[in-house]
Amino acid sequence: MRAAANRNPRRAALSTALIGAALGSGTMISLATGGRSDVGLVTLWELATGAADALPGATMLDIRMPRTAVAALLGVNLALSGLILQAITRNPLASPAILGINQGAALGLVAALAFPAASGLTLDAMAVAGALGAGTITFAIAGGFGGRIDPMRLVLGGVAVGAFAYAAVRFAYTLEDDLARSVVRWTVGDIGDMRWSNARALAVWSGIGGLLAAFLSHRLNMMALGEASSRGLGADPRWTLLAGAVVAAALAGVSVAVAGPIAFVGLVVPHVARALFGGDHRILVPAAAALGAALMLLADGASKMLAAPAEVPVGLVAAMIGAPYFLYLAIFSDALE
Amino acid sequence: MPLNRRLILPLILATTLGAHMAVSADISHEMGTTAVPADPERVVVLEFSFIDALVSVGMVPVGIADDNNPDRVMTVYGDILGDAWTSVGTRKTPSLEIIASLAPDLIIADKTRHSAAYDTLSQIAPTIVLDSLGGDYHASVAQMAVIGEAIGQPEAMTARIAEHKATMTAFAERIRPHAAGVSAQFGVTNADGLYLHAPPSYNGALLAMFGFDSNMTPGEGGVYERNYIETTLEQLSEIDPDILILGEYTDPSATDTWAGEPLWQALTAVEGDAVHYVVANNWSRLRGMVAAELTAADLLKIVGADESGS
Repeated sequence: MRAAANRNPRRAALSTALIGAALGSGTMISLATGGRSDVGLVTLWELATGAADALPGATMLDIRMPRTAVAALLGVNLALSGLILQAITRNPLASPAILGINQGAALGLVAALAFPAASGLTLDAMAVAGALGAGTITFAIAGGFGGRIDPMRLVLGGVAVGAFAYAAVRFAYTLEDDLARSVVRWTVGDIGDMRWSNARALAVWSGIGGLLAAFLSHRLNMMALGEASSRGLGADPRWTLLAGAVVAAALAGVSVAVAGPIAFVGLVVPHVARALFGGDHRILVPAAAALGAALMLLADGASKMLAAPAEVPVGLVAAMIGAPYFLYLAIFSDALE
Repeated sequence: MPLNRRLILPLILATTLGAHMAVSADISHEMGTTAVPADPERVVVLEFSFIDALVSVGMVPVGIADDNNPDRVMTVYGDILGDAWTSVGTRKTPSLEIIASLAPDLIIADKTRHSAAYDTLSQIAPTIVLDSLGGDYHASVAQMAVIGEAIGQPEAMTARIAEHKATMTAFAERIRPHAAGVSAQFGVTNADGLYLHAPPSYNGALLAMFGFDSNMTPGEGGVYERNYIETTLEQLSEIDPDILILGEYTDPSATDTWAGEPLWQALTAVEGDAVHYVVANNWSRLRGMVAAELTAADLLKIVGADESGS
């Protein structure tokens, strides 16, 4: 059925149009919402025609747009990370959150906040280091470095690593108020105060990660045939596994360093992409990236509207959208069998 | 629970040996009513405003939740506190072991932070729970009177409160003419963000008492959602107070990083040169009578009505 979906051009066109519509409306909603009531989509038009007042124009250019870009790029990173992880582990439950990678990155952040002098690294570097460390341990538990991953041990190992890392993060909640509030800020998934510098840093990683994912996509397809077939076709599965894991952990770690851990995007988006486009990773890489961006844009818009004028952290909204959909998949779809 | 012999003997001794050992006061508080011994001498306080109450009548607590950072209390109360007290850890998670080791005869705890530990604290010593973190200025003053009763010094406390109210009235008379039709907003800022103290908070009520307006929309929910609200630059530009009073916990703070942006430059307070920096600890954490008087003195300078020349 999936292969048929892939070959049916009408269905592919419909799916592409659907993603395009979600991306477009997500971008509009994300740009239209925020603290100032005098800034909206009309400001975009005024900017284009040069008729914008100074303040609404600056708000749109300096605050709304970079935040919208950050939301979209986070979606790209997390979706690609999840897609790669599900492919290399051939496990539909794999995602940065389930494999403990998000939590490891959060632990790296908290370590940097709690012992700023000891780590000597920046927040970003500590987040990536935590992500890589947690990913390495999870893969080691699953036997991944021997080239064969036990799917059950992978999920159990990831849950254990994630639980351990998050227990250490939660310990920081009991520390002194200011530190605890910083930790909370870094563990809920918050993009309330983003500027172009954040978006630029993220864009570089999304670009590199996207290229590497595209480069890996053929190998990911061979992994789907099984490790033995992959070897038979001349692609060493261990190399695919290692390269994929490093790219996935780096993408997740960089995302956590900007916004804190955001769950469910990396888990859900690859499933939606496969349901729409079938199993070819050469198509899935751009499709998942676009879908991830669309989901995060919609979540960002909702995060600004739900409790206006206050904001709900975008990570919570993403989970509120992602979790019910995942439940639906788990119950009604054969994708998880 | 059956009384055993070991308990009965001291009980008989206590009831027969003189009136000063008898239970003197039933104090009503957030968690119910607690029988507090007369003239407690060893008091443990778990919020800074309770220190304020004790030192107001010349009493030094045996144990203070000082966040393991004595400067937070010593800079203001150091002259009276001296070094005859023990840190019991952070306000958020004080050490029950250290509190018990001090053998207190009264514990004063905070509603938001310590209600969950009320039973445990009560096993250590009679405990009263007051709403320091979530309460506003007027609630704080009312709590001072409760603490006066609990420590057996109601008259001295009443006198101190009357003196405080007279001081504040004098401040208010000088500040009010400058506050009519003027909105003022206090917030603290650290490396991650700006947190505005909303109208229901301690500082919000204090600013309202001096006649300032607030442009904030009241929030709902727990103490942190209602009183201390994380605010982006865009939201701040919508609130746009005439006077912006900031306490910085870090250098640089989040508001420092906003300084070059057009939205910050266009704030009424920035354009009118009315962004004022105060000591965050005094404004945000202390929440007692001394804190209110320090705040009022700062406000007097902020509105330019300070004629002392200092």
